[in-house]
Amino acid sequence: MKSILSLILFFAILSSSAFSQTSKLQKFTISGYVKDSTSGEYLIGTAVYIKEIQKGTNCNAYGFYSLTLDAGSYTIITSFIGYKENTTSIVLNKDVSLNIEMSPNVILTKEVLVTAKKADANVKSTEMGKIDVDVDQIKALPALLGEVDIIKTIQLLPGVKSAGEGNSGFYVRGGGPDQNLILLDEAVVYNASHLFGFFSVFNSDAIKNISLTKGGMPAQYGGRLASVLDISMKEGNNKKFHGEGGLGYIASRLTLEGPIVKDKSSFIISGRRTFIDLFLREPFIDNNSNLAGNSYYFYDLNAKVNYSISQKDRLFLSGYIGRDIFNFRSAATGFRVRIPWGNATTSARWNHLFSDKLFMNTSVIFTDYKFEFGAEQQEFDFKIFSGIRDYSGKLDFNWYPNILHNVKFGLNYTYHRFTPTNASARSGDVVFDLGEITRYYAHDAALYINDDWDVTEKFKLNGGFRATLFSHVGPFKRYVQDPDFPGKFTDTIVYAKGNTVKNYFNVEPRISARYELTKSSSLKASFTQNYQYIHLASFGSVSLPTDIWVPSTDLVQPQFGTQYALGFFKNLKDNQFETSVEVYYKTMKNQIDYREGSTPDQDVRNNPDNNFVFGEGWSYGSEFFVKKAKGKLTGWIGYTLSWTEREFEDLNGGEKFSAKYDRRHDASIVLTYELNKKWTFGAVWVYSTGDALTLPSERYFVSSGPPISVDQSGNIQFNNNFNVLSGYEKRNDFRQKAYHRMDVSATLHVQKQKRYKSEWVFSIYNVYSRMNPYFIYFDVTGNSVDGNIGIQAKQVSLFGLIPSVTYNFKF
Amino acid sequence: MKYILFILILFLFASCERDITLDLPKTEPKIVVDGYVERDLPPYIILSRSQGYFDPINSGTINNLPERNAIVTLSDGINTIILTELDTVIDGASIGGVYAALDPVSYFPTMIGTAGLTYTLDILTSDGKRVTSTTKLHPKVDLDSTWFEIQEGKDSLGFTWAFLSDPDTLDNCYRWFSKRISKDDQFFAPFGSAFEDKFINGQTFKFGFNRASLQNSTAEDDNNEEAGFFKRGDTIVIKFCAIDKTTYEFWRDAETQLGNNGSPFAVPSNIKSNIKGGIGLFASYSASYDTIIAR
Repeated sequence: MKSILSLILFFAILSSSAFSQTSKLQKFTISGYVKDSTSGEYLIGTAVYIKEIQKGTNCNAYGFYSLTLDAGSYTIITSFIGYKENTTSIVLNKDVSLNIEMSPNVILTKEVLVTAKKADANVKSTEMGKIDVDVDQIKALPALLGEVDIIKTIQLLPGVKSAGEGNSGFYVRGGGPDQNLILLDEAVVYNASHLFGFFSVFNSDAIKNISLTKGGMPAQYGGRLASVLDISMKEGNNKKFHGEGGLGYIASRLTLEGPIVKDKSSFIISGRRTFIDLFLREPFIDNNSNLAGNSYYFYDLNAKVNYSISQKDRLFLSGYIGRDIFNFRSAATGFRVRIPWGNATTSARWNHLFSDKLFMNTSVIFTDYKFEFGAEQQEFDFKIFSGIRDYSGKLDFNWYPNILHNVKFGLNYTYHRFTPTNASARSGDVVFDLGEITRYYAHDAALYINDDWDVTEKFKLNGGFRATLFSHVGPFKRYVQDPDFPGKFTDTIVYAKGNTVKNYFNVEPRISARYELTKSSSLKASFTQNYQYIHLASFGSVSLPTDIWVPSTDLVQPQFGTQYALGFFKNLKDNQFETSVEVYYKTMKNQIDYREGSTPDQDVRNNPDNNFVFGEGWSYGSEFFVKKAKGKLTGWIGYTLSWTEREFEDLNGGEKFSAKYDRRHDASIVLTYELNKKWTFGAVWVYSTGDALTLPSERYFVSSGPPISVDQSGNIQFNNNFNVLSGYEKRNDFRQKAYHRMDVSATLHVQKQKRYKSEWVFSIYNVYSRMNPYFIYFDVTGNSVDGNIGIQAKQVSLFGLIPSVTYNFKF
Repeated sequence: MKYILFILILFLFASCERDITLDLPKTEPKIVVDGYVERDLPPYIILSRSQGYFDPINSGTINNLPERNAIVTLSDGINTIILTELDTVIDGASIGGVYAALDPVSYFPTMIGTAGLTYTLDILTSDGKRVTSTTKLHPKVDLDSTWFEIQEGKDSLGFTWAFLSDPDTLDNCYRWFSKRISKDDQFFAPFGSAFEDKFINGQTFKFGFNRASLQNSTAEDDNNEEAGFFKRGDTIVIKFCAIDKTTYEFWRDAETQLGNNGSPFAVPSNIKSNIKGGIGLFASYSASYDTIIAR
């Protein structure tokens, strides 16, 4: 009730302010799109700034802007990452439609900077914990095996932690891997990694824009507690045909783009594939050898077309498909395994301008993630599959009533189909009874409104609400479990198709504010609450493609997160340096985990959520960030001091424990130096406290079978074959050694012909070959029969020094 | 899947492996029960204490292991007896902590495992700790048939196979052991030896096992191409046991723990135990035997 009252109050304030006419002068609107002059790509987030009144706006996700001003003469300045500043003078005496084309900065090579959009945008905006990263800068940084990975660059930002050595999973401000909303052209990507996490699924050649929000999430986003990683694909050059590509150790890439109808319509198609498997077959190896039949590859394919029907209407159609395929064959035993998994997404979008103040986007989105595991040996045949599929519709509006307001509102709807782990098995003619296929179905709807409001000269407010409705519906079969004996069922309840199993309705307030202290410094604060209705259940401590997504159900309550953040932002030396300090405190309710000792087979002929236990989490800390955005040397230093804890009644004896990635100190230094037109150098150094780990606290001996037995002939046998078993007391009570590593890279740019450009990227991962701990295991030597049992702890590291070369070209 | 990945990583990155010493916190030792009721045999209980994971293993610590002078009471629902602590001597050293249902003077069995009975264990240690448990001894289940089969692509090496008709009641659990006459001096359980009938209830089906051996065995045929295989000419005894569900759950968890061993893809966890006041297992086995001549 309280939230509904405040909702009404919010709308009352918003409408009174948005419609009030404080000036007697007549008002007119300037609106239009901002594009790249060479490719015609719309530029997302460009700052559009009116010099005379020192106010401005940013282009939306489709490059559109709108400003409503008193009649008069104005100078419009637009600025954007890696582009020359553009200045246009206009006399405003009627509504003006003004499309602005910006030319890329060719004096410097493009591999430069995470530039401020507007020189002091980080100080002026209400945004907290939001970072845009330039794809070109990512390409200039050293990469593991030369494979450019946008997510691994994001891990270098303060507040973001890597899921482990070489892993493209990430944790934001103490949130789990399922708490990041990863969007590719508005479609949710449920598993963003290839090769069990070593590479992300995003092919940087096809990507235009990346932004990460780790706190103060605005109301147009929802459904996750920790962060939003919003990735936009390129639209394709609508002026000229172009291509680019590259050859690397891991994968090769090719992208083609060009106009379909010049200035109106264009396409882009981009592919990437690993090729090691091509060498694991004839003629390179013999078909009868032990290696034959083993292969692994992944590929990604991105495609997009767009069409501008008129100044008012534009259409976009984009798609992505990526797969990992792993084949294993043991020549000795005839055991074969085939594991394919991957994502597919499609988004169709229509932009429409109702007026120069009201912009609308409509999207229809499909997304699918699936995992399969198939094994066979002689007559035995075993299959596991799981996945998630969504059908979504979105309606988003941007309304620019006057220069003080930028209002976003809209409606989202998604129909989810969750397929938790299902299995089938047979041995010869005998089909194992693994029950019927279990699925969950749910409706997921949201309504939101958000306003970015200049309240006074110094005070700016960004506030909104998101109202969410989640409904778990049939067909569904609930196995009712005896609470005292997990695994014993007392009843089953069957819900028919479309019947409600459980409904949830919630209102999520989002608010952030900025107070300008001086021209180059400001104070910001934010308060956000989020509900998350989907949960990732993982048997391991590392996210894997086998992890399953499950919805909130009658048993699983939605995750609920509250975050408070406070920040101080200051720019130094004429905006050469941007600095910030942010502190945050976050609580997360209704977190899930598997009951201790759960195994995947317990999910079969059962509801997976019957095996869950529930708890809560906390994360708090502070983040320090210094960025040099201009000059030959650019880059940043980030440092995070943080704590992340979990508490589950049924885990660790009910006591609080550290999350695996509760790393007290986490620091990174990222540098790019442009020596001249030919050479660019990059270096990265990272340091973090070791992961929290559970190690055995005690060992005990249990005989491997009955110690005394009598065989068929009546002979007595004494068996003294004992197993060494371990007991665990405290979860994540041990700390691994600290992780640190330095990588360097050098890029040589070659341009021999006007149309053909190329570059060589040389990089070295882990320059000083630090043996970072990846995991620890215990090697038991000898046995009790020979009386020579010994135990040795061993630490395994993944990568020492790894050099690589990548060749990239553009035409 | 996780095992495959784990083994792959161990294999690929074995060169980046080094020995380390860890300083783990000490914990209070727990009473460990390793108890057996086997059909037609007198029950045995081995009592010991757990130790710190990295405590050195030498004659001193081994000597501290057995839990001596406990009062071990066992009831089969009809009779209640006190087990006799045996004075076992191995290699000249006296090993305590082994309690058996044998008469202290005549060593005649005072109780024999009988199918259908539920056994209740009650232990009072010399320092006053009390540990209890129960297990049910199931009737034996005979295999329909057993045989040896040469593996595709091999000349004389193969696995053991069997047909089992599972009774039409849920919660039948089994454990498989094998032994080669004159080659092995005891029965060994292969990985995955314990299984339940959750997915095969009431069905007749075929299954096979490889040859298990002693952990870190130094025997020649455990270290060449014969490792894991039976060979033409072997005489193999299969000991197929009906076990109770808690025995199954213990071995399922123990095999998971032994298989995971620090894998970064698994959460380490304790083994489910049916011992109240301690850890370990009070197991029941009802064996049926088959002999295969591999040809």
